[in-house]
Amino acid sequence: MGFAPLDPVLHNQLRLAVVSLLIAVDEADFNHLLDRTGATRGNLSVQLSKLKEAGYVEIIKGYKDNYPNTRCRLTKAGIAAFDAYVRAIKGYLGP
Amino acid sequence: MNSELTPQESLRLIEGMIGQARRSFSRMSFYFLLWGVLLIAAMVATYLLRYNTTGWQHGAPWGVAGVLGGLISAIHGAREGKREQVSNPMDTTIGWLWGSFVITMLLLIAFTVTGRADTTIVVTMLTGLPTFITGQIMRFRPLQLGGIIFWVAGGAMMLLNSALATLVLYCTAMVLGYILPGILLKHHEDGLRAA
Repeated sequence: MGFAPLDPVLHNQLRLAVVSLLIAVDEADFNHLLDRTGATRGNLSVQLSKLKEAGYVEIIKGYKDNYPNTRCRLTKAGIAAFDAYVRAIKGYLGP
Repeated sequence: MNSELTPQESLRLIEGMIGQARRSFSRMSFYFLLWGVLLIAAMVATYLLRYNTTGWQHGAPWGVAGVLGGLISAIHGAREGKREQVSNPMDTTIGWLWGSFVITMLLLIAFTVTGRADTTIVVTMLTGLPTFITGQIMRFRPLQLGGIIFWVAGGAMMLLNSALATLVLYCTAMVLGYILPGILLKHHEDGLRAA
């Protein structure tokens, strides 16, 4: 039995961390993702852009208390990709 | 935090992050403390004033506590909401649960004021709560609407005060609140099973 290929968009430490955080919430703002992942602003922005390009994450830019605020949420494609990734990973780890 | 991962590391990372996200609940203690103190005060006031009040005045301490608690909760909730960095589905569901409780409670208070004792009306109003919350948890709008229909039907039964109206409203609420969402849910489940 061959192993299912791992989605290269998700098979990256920071992108996987972001998607794993977002899978459990409706949406989270950029600073929350920054706190929880311990990433730098620049790196997080780059990885969020890649997730957005893949259609996995929706990025909503707005204002909160008159300051710019960026909120992120998983799209249906992102949820499906995460689900497939977890199933593939479990396949690698065996029964 | 950018390196390639082994499957074990991936799984550990996923579990860790999901665990962290699930701990991101809003702080609820404030509301329990506030309402606990206010409602004890209302109960004590009702007891102390029991010989000095008549009619609607009996309910005045509860009304004051309700309005005060509602205002403070709304102001506190709005402030907390601005600070929140995460919108958690559990927080949303808890909010809807308490909102549904308030709607049911207000309907029941209005009903008891009429002095009638009709179990059908009470049960119809109560049915709205779990129906609406089930729809909210399942993110299934027909059940959410079903819950609202039970509340509206209960309110209408109370206002119309007729056996025939109760019969028609109860059956209509059951068809729109249970049977129709049940049929739609069955189609949805059958579709999932076939996929």
